[in-house]
Amino acid sequence: MQLIAMAGRVAAALALATGSAHAQGLEFTPGEDDRFSWQSYETFADSHDLSGQTLDISGVWTGPDKDLVESVLAYFEAATGAQVRYSGSESFEQDIVIAAQAGSAPDIAVFPQPGLAADMARRGFLTPLGEDTADWVRRNYAAGESWVDLGSYENETGAEALYGFFYKIDVKSLVWYVPDAFAEAGYEVPGTLEDLKALTERIAADGGTPWCIGLGSGAATGWPATDWVEDLMLRRERPETYDAWVSHEIPFNDPAVVGAIEDYGWFARNDAFVEGGAQAAATTDFRESPAGLFTFPPGCYMHRQASFIDTYFPEGSEIGLDVDFFYFPAYAGRDLGRPVLGAGTLWAITRDSEAAHVFIDFLKTPIAHEIWMAQSGFLTPFTGASPEAYATDSMRAQGEILTSATTFRFDGSDLMPGEIGADAFWKGMIAYTTGRSDAETVAQEIERRWNAIR
Amino acid sequence: MSPLLQGIATILIGVGGCVGYFYGANLLLDRVIFPPRGRDPGANISRANAVRPWLFLAPAMAALGLYLVYPVVGSFWRSLYNRDGGTFIGPGNYTDLAADPAFRTAVFNNLLWVLVVPAASTFIGLVAAQLTDRIRWGNIAKSIIFMPMAISFVGASLIWKFVYANEADIGLLNAIRAALGFDDPLDVIQIPFWNNFFLMAILIWIQTGFAMVILSAALRGIPDETIEAAILDGANPLQIFFRIMVPQITGTILVVWTTITILVLKVFDIVYTMTGGNFGTQILPSYMMSYMFKDDGRATAVAFVIMLIVLPVMVWNIVQARKEMR
Repeated sequence: MQLIAMAGRVAAALALATGSAHAQGLEFTPGEDDRFSWQSYETFADSHDLSGQTLDISGVWTGPDKDLVESVLAYFEAATGAQVRYSGSESFEQDIVIAAQAGSAPDIAVFPQPGLAADMARRGFLTPLGEDTADWVRRNYAAGESWVDLGSYENETGAEALYGFFYKIDVKSLVWYVPDAFAEAGYEVPGTLEDLKALTERIAADGGTPWCIGLGSGAATGWPATDWVEDLMLRRERPETYDAWVSHEIPFNDPAVVGAIEDYGWFARNDAFVEGGAQAAATTDFRESPAGLFTFPPGCYMHRQASFIDTYFPEGSEIGLDVDFFYFPAYAGRDLGRPVLGAGTLWAITRDSEAAHVFIDFLKTPIAHEIWMAQSGFLTPFTGASPEAYATDSMRAQGEILTSATTFRFDGSDLMPGEIGADAFWKGMIAYTTGRSDAETVAQEIERRWNAIR
Repeated sequence: MSPLLQGIATILIGVGGCVGYFYGANLLLDRVIFPPRGRDPGANISRANAVRPWLFLAPAMAALGLYLVYPVVGSFWRSLYNRDGGTFIGPGNYTDLAADPAFRTAVFNNLLWVLVVPAASTFIGLVAAQLTDRIRWGNIAKSIIFMPMAISFVGASLIWKFVYANEADIGLLNAIRAALGFDDPLDVIQIPFWNNFFLMAILIWIQTGFAMVILSAALRGIPDETIEAAILDGANPLQIFFRIMVPQITGTILVVWTTITILVLKVFDIVYTMTGGNFGTQILPSYMMSYMFKDDGRATAVAFVIMLIVLPVMVWNIVQARKEMR
């Protein structure tokens, strides 16, 4: 075993020295492309050695995303000589709790929601990242304090510490459209939510279908609708009201929330506004729903979805050319600035080990961000990562929306207790979208369930 | 240690342990505790023989206690605690369940499932068993009917998702509708109340094969004499089937019926993958899944309710199966 580990180290050292990294499966050859901060990578490689150690990582990323995260992990392996085993699971949220309770947790887990990570921290399953990491995030992330807040939870004794390292952020307040289709029909990108509603009505009047909406997502069906409501909440109410809603300081059936749900209904419950009608939205898979943008004649003109959705666009479609996005605008009449709704994944240590802490340090190198930035579907608030590394202008533009927002709020349903944000809210939105229930009843039902939590 | 050596060692220790236990325990009983000596050796021998069955039962009872009784008691105890198992709240979870309309929907739907699925599977299975026994390509037909049994519930659900898909160029059902000249596709999974039956169809599709195989074996076990006698008495085929054959295999039918009933009360995969409990299709096990890993106490309470419902069916099933074996 030792011999193999040593051979691995020699190979890694050789690869670094000669710069011929392709044998390692590295996506970009270290030292070759000046969009990347190779200096930081080499400093990190020189000061860390984990030869012969293995690091188990579990996360939500599967399919194309799994390949992408593994392309980043390859650099960690090459730099430290450690062996990384990443496993992605569609049911990560359940798997990680079982694994932690059974005492077989991986070294590191990638959480899709702070809510679950907070829950795990409260039950004593996570290891704090340390005060220096918190300081690092404060200094190096745009709006650093808010990211520290989002990653800090109480443990079983009630002491608060930083447990989550945010990495790979999604901007949710985006509306995707096909510029050619807009140009042909003579539509213009709306600057205000009032304009967006007027455009929606105009497209319907012209005989087109304004929106593609897909709420289907297996057992998680309904979540895309919660994003709509959250986005509209930020555009109708002050951020403080949003925070109060998420933390249950105001009831779920508060008129502010019911108003946001009904505003979503204005778009989604109108059969003339949605491809296939409102009923179809509830069973159309969110991954398939953008397809209507790309048909000819257009199945729909607009699709409100987070930045990651481009992974599911037809192969070869170029953002900025074949398809583009605009910021989901705010009401001009409400003077709430430029709110942005987002989400993101965070890494947390689920089994304390040297390798796990070294890995968190690796995440502080610009290269750990830039490798993924240079491919697809990755935005970072890390100001040390070179924006040049973004593969496309459109990703750079999304990165800018992230850093130039006047208000940034995290996906509310992800911050609510699991029973609410990952079940009752989803199911309620399905019942509302399909017309089984009205907004008031749905909100009341969710409120009743929130109150029943013990 | 290599896996092969590990396997061999495990077998040796396991088998050797069993032999050792029985040999050693018997030795202890016969030589030390009740030796056939002393004033009344005969009494000691009969005492030893009275104890002996318990010696043989002990390992099984210990295992059952550990794997069956302890979890049941443990689950009930957990269902009296709050969501992270930290605070005792007594019957709070149960009163909350009773007040939850979603729980009542789940109970109602589950009742539908229990009434429809076992009856339909058993009936179709019985008819299939009878018909395929009579035709030359019966074995091929049987294989085809049995094949869904080999598919996992999730796999089967995915297949039926395509059957039910909302577009004519994907969904079989809507393709047939389109061929018949209906214009707009129908989302069968969203039709209130009836969508339950579309989901049940999946389980019936899977379970009919099971019913057919067991019932077909039972049908073959019917003595030819009774059927010949019925033919001589001028009974028509339907009369032979329903009044001569079915009564003779009632026991088997009941065992099949109750076995499928128990399965229905446990199956959650179909609802979970097809609708996630939306559109009013929630059933108890998938309702439990929506609390699982989020609220320990509530999920255990639902599990316990399901167990209470399964228990009588299970007892009846075992009684019937024992009757069959005699």
